[in-house]
Amino acid sequence: MVSAPRHVACVMDGNGRWARQRCLPRTAGHRAAEAAVIDVIEAARASGVRWLSLYAFSTENWRRPSDEIDFLMGLVRRTLRKHALSMCARGIRCRFLGVSDPRIPPGLARDIADLVELTRDNRGMTLTVAFDHGGRRDIVEAARALIRDRVPADLVTEESFAEHLPHPDTPDVDLVIRTSGEQRISNFMLWQVAYAEWVFPEVLWPDFRAEHFHECLRAYRNRERRFGDVRSPNPMVKGIR
Amino acid sequence: MSAETAVEQPDISILGPDALLSEYCQDARWGLAVVRATVLEAAHPQIGAALIENSTFVAHPWRRVFNTLLSTQRVLDADTRVRDKEAARLNRLHARIAGVDPKGRPYNAMDPDARAWVVASLFESTVNLSRMSGVTMSAEDMERLYAEFRAFLVLLEGNADHLPATVEEFWPYFEDVIERGLENTEAMRIILFELFGHMPAPPLLRGHPTIWAAGRVMAGPVISEFLKGTLPESIRQRAGLGELPGSHALARGVYMGTGVAARVLPQSWTRTDTMIGLLDPSLSNDGSGSQLLSALRRQQTRAAALIRLLSPISGDSSSSSAGSAARSADRFFAEVLDQTGDGYVSWPDIAAMAREVGSRLDLDEDTEERLFEAYAGWWRELASALDDDGDGRVSRAEYAAAASTMASPALVRVAEVLFDATDADGDQSISAVEHRALFRTAFSRDVETTGQDARYSRSEFVREFLDFMSGRQGSAGYESLLAQA
Repeated sequence: MVSAPRHVACVMDGNGRWARQRCLPRTAGHRAAEAAVIDVIEAARASGVRWLSLYAFSTENWRRPSDEIDFLMGLVRRTLRKHALSMCARGIRCRFLGVSDPRIPPGLARDIADLVELTRDNRGMTLTVAFDHGGRRDIVEAARALIRDRVPADLVTEESFAEHLPHPDTPDVDLVIRTSGEQRISNFMLWQVAYAEWVFPEVLWPDFRAEHFHECLRAYRNRERRFGDVRSPNPMVKGIR
Repeated sequence: MSAETAVEQPDISILGPDALLSEYCQDARWGLAVVRATVLEAAHPQIGAALIENSTFVAHPWRRVFNTLLSTQRVLDADTRVRDKEAARLNRLHARIAGVDPKGRPYNAMDPDARAWVVASLFESTVNLSRMSGVTMSAEDMERLYAEFRAFLVLLEGNADHLPATVEEFWPYFEDVIERGLENTEAMRIILFELFGHMPAPPLLRGHPTIWAAGRVMAGPVISEFLKGTLPESIRQRAGLGELPGSHALARGVYMGTGVAARVLPQSWTRTDTMIGLLDPSLSNDGSGSQLLSALRRQQTRAAALIRLLSPISGDSSSSSAGSAARSADRFFAEVLDQTGDGYVSWPDIAAMAREVGSRLDLDEDTEERLFEAYAGWWRELASALDDDGDGRVSRAEYAAAASTMASPALVRVAEVLFDATDADGDQSISAVEHRALFRTAFSRDVETTGQDARYSRSEFVREFLDFMSGRQGSAGYESLLAQA
């Protein structure tokens, strides 16, 4: 198997632990995450990945202390503005998944809308940032949408359901990378990860770099994806350590 | 004007593409005649009160000018059904406008004298501005034009009994109303003294506030003086304008100048449609011709997005998120909710939104009725949830205090009815054509990337409407419909 996975998603875990190991405030871990994000975007683009999704902030993350949330919102805004031009220049189309909570500061919401508008026609790679995202919420929203569209029950199929999810042109996720060794789904793109391969590198997100990303892609290539078929054996389920 | 003598009613079939009025309303300068006529209308106590209480003219002056032109075009349509439908729509619109003015006098937009005066002032302004441009109308043309305006009134009222039968009799009637029927109303003072000083930019220049501000500083007083210069002497005295030497000459100069320009410039440039298209690309109603403009406009929004992203973060990032949420609610209140611009939201503001949608979509009576009912339901909900002091209107402070926390089933109902009204062919999705009818723009979302036969589903439509109306998310379409122009 030679080709790169079409859609790779990263659950960026371990910022807090990274900071604690260095006796730094949690916010320092978030700040250090920026370099990893930029490195991974570039590595994915260079490896021919067409769709990259990053789990930046979950609907559950609102439970964190308010000063950490304020810091995160500011950090996301600064990072987004800093790299907007280079995203656009590299032909990356940026989209956001979620972003519906009224607690998101209007300035950030404005910048997000601007970045989406700016990169709308880019066709290089689609970067989906899951921000204020919850997989279950998306599914509930899709169900609501079906009911509002008055789709008769027997016409509700997996395909028609998927068309009502946000960004319905997004393909299924092929590979999920969750850093820091944690092995949970955490309500991330539940519908789209149904057939995804998962890898759980031990490295914490702020230390995650292009070489780790390539390692994950190698692990993915070595797996045989069966989509529930039984005709060939399934040699490994283990993630890289 | 007495209706005792049975005057001959003009034949409404003289309205149509061949009417003389058609030629006038295709000339961009006719817009000035509409504005001038509005001053005369506003000086009529009934119309003045209706304008102040219900009209969005002060807050959205461009919209009023565009809508008048659109309405006139429909009345002159080749298809008599379009004319009848527009007349019926105008009648329904006027039937909703009635009340009591601050002096306690009742006003009603269906009053036949007041409506005759609207038609009379449009006729007089057309003749007057034509004379100023150096082309005096022939007696024949004037009679023809007058008959057309009377036919317009017949189309609305069923008869033209409140306008004199002939042009000769018209002038004494006009003088008489000017002398005895008009007042120095608040609406007239606002148009003459305030409007051009703070007129919002036309949509094309919205992204360039400095250009507009500079242009307005120069053009505002000129237009305002021009208007004053063209008004009948007794109105000018009553409005306290007194003798303004040079004002009349200026008026003449402006109109002569535009007359010369009309001769020198390519004909298409001075056509009303072209001018409107330039001022507001989203209003050019033929899709093909405006594609270049919409492409340019898209480049413009993208450039604006880039500039915003590259410019330093302004002060709002440092303040608390609660503060900036309140500020954005405030902006939404001023730009969208407060349609009449009086600082409060009350039923006329909400009705103005319904009216704007109704005229854009050219709805039939039943659908329009359902739309108004849905909006009325939303207003009842807003009033009961937000009007703390019970004065029948929602102030800025009342809105800012509670709006973001409000769940709104009535607003969902508005969205549903709006979807049904927009979905003209009833196939449960909004096609590109239907989308254009409501927003005057093509799709702007990801819809276009998902397939060639791009459509909006009911849920997407409802979601976008709710996002916009809750002030959470901007929407180019709704902004052009409700906030701009």
